[in-house]
Amino acid sequence: MSIQFKSITELNELLDNKAISVSELTQESIQLAKKYDELNCFVTLNEENSSKKASSIDRDKKNTSLLSGIPLAQKDLFCTKGLRTTCSSKILSNFIPPYSATVVEKLEDAGSITIGKTNMDEFAMGSSNETSFFGSVHNPWKKGFVPGGSSGGSAAAVAAGIVPAATGTDTGGSIRQPAAHCGITGLKPTYGRISRWGMIAFASSLDQAGPLARSAEDCAILLNSMSGYDSKDTTSLNSDVPNFLENINQSIKGKKIGIIKEFDLSGLDTEVQKRFDESKKAYENLGAEFIEVSLPNISASVPTYYSIAPAECSSNLSRYDGVRFGHRAENTDDLNDLYIKSRSEGFGDEVKRRILIGTYALSSGYYDAYYKKAQQVRRLIKNDFDQVFKSIDLLMTPTSPNSAFKFESKGTQNPVELYLEDLFTISSNLAGLPAISIPHGQVHSLPVGLQLIGNFLREDLLLNAAHVFQQNSDFHNAKPNLENFK
Amino acid sequence: MDQETVRTICYLARLEIDQNKSEKIQKDLETIIELIGSLQSIDTSDIEPLYNPLEMTAFKHEDLVISDNKKNKFLKNAAESNEDYFLVPRVVE
Repeated sequence: MSIQFKSITELNELLDNKAISVSELTQESIQLAKKYDELNCFVTLNEENSSKKASSIDRDKKNTSLLSGIPLAQKDLFCTKGLRTTCSSKILSNFIPPYSATVVEKLEDAGSITIGKTNMDEFAMGSSNETSFFGSVHNPWKKGFVPGGSSGGSAAAVAAGIVPAATGTDTGGSIRQPAAHCGITGLKPTYGRISRWGMIAFASSLDQAGPLARSAEDCAILLNSMSGYDSKDTTSLNSDVPNFLENINQSIKGKKIGIIKEFDLSGLDTEVQKRFDESKKAYENLGAEFIEVSLPNISASVPTYYSIAPAECSSNLSRYDGVRFGHRAENTDDLNDLYIKSRSEGFGDEVKRRILIGTYALSSGYYDAYYKKAQQVRRLIKNDFDQVFKSIDLLMTPTSPNSAFKFESKGTQNPVELYLEDLFTISSNLAGLPAISIPHGQVHSLPVGLQLIGNFLREDLLLNAAHVFQQNSDFHNAKPNLENFK
Repeated sequence: MDQETVRTICYLARLEIDQNKSEKIQKDLETIIELIGSLQSIDTSDIEPLYNPLEMTAFKHEDLVISDNKKNKFLKNAAESNEDYFLVPRVVE
């Protein structure tokens, strides 16, 4: 029996009915990863440890959690004890963490099995997965097309049905945009909802972990295990975590959904507009009401983000000096030369570009003009959200301005071209709000996503609205033809 | 942004740029600075910066020893170390 493309709930049934053992399930998931090796979605497979854990679950027969015995993939920026963690960078290509990230611990404590570490844009800096030291990931829907980024490997592994779900991180859209490009569901929770401990930092005030899966229901199952206060993360939120499955079936009749006036969709591909209008209609049929709202400063999100994120990245990435861990250059003259050569050999071009921008934005004489200014605009953007959420429940936008694009077709001449990919996703990171992307059809034979943004800590409502949409549509069940990747 | 500024930032960031890429990097940086410079037109007088979306100060916890000495584990990831220290090129003659 093939387990490919099965949801967590379906796999649970198979395990409960003894139609399959955890060992068989794990083995098949790993075999699928190997069969579709050409997708390049994994940097490292965890074959031996996965088999051991699977056997022990089979032996103990303790299927107590919905994640017990379920194979998962972890984005390769979550530290995994004893298992190489690279951030898809040469500088960490030999790094074996002595501890696991809280997210990994929580998911593994719930019984899930980490079958491997997924490819990503180097240090999560990118929207196409093309900046990985380990090479680009193919979109399972079309060879030679990007899966989106930065969690491109996780999205491709789920879309190809290798694993039912995977972890990702989202700093400016890095869960939602690859989920959209690969035709799956991806949730970026509220900032602070999930611990960042052991999650290799890119931009600390924006980074947030979240799930990627084939449905909102499966995302809820992962979120239940991933969320919660962690004393090891000083920005972790000490607030109650609801059971995200509890109200997932509720009617959304009467919910007010805002359409952002400042996002002029008329400039987009007409097919992207059509999918958006169709989904709007679908939500109206489910009883939702639409209201046009204004967020006057939202158009400044991209420049605000590209000032703050590089500044935080330049600070966070200063730890890679070739001394305590990571790549160290050979034949260096002195300590300074060791730093310069190790970093210059270890980082790729996009990472270097962002470190340089951040260093410039934080340097004496420019700090107020770039970094402080961006943080002030960030408050204006957050104030706009606070204002609109007084009268609405959710906001709706396309996840991305277009469907997936060809390798090396964007951003090679002008990096800003690729930065504009994040237009619809970035603002929720700046304001710390939760947002979800769900598949809602295709444009030019490739999947596109619909984004819902929620108020602070309202992941429950996002999952509810996504789930009822999926109960009334079939987009999330579409499967790519993987013939070209065998 | 001139070549001299690019060189200074590179030094501050402890990065070296290949000679054949330096013009392209300079151009890219100019484009990005132009993008983020567009924020100057927004009036932010009397607006407090928002450094963290939660607007809370970091939690403090009691300063207790909670783990064993993991020296060996951490030293293992270094390219060069002895039994006690990370090793680097000689700093003091």
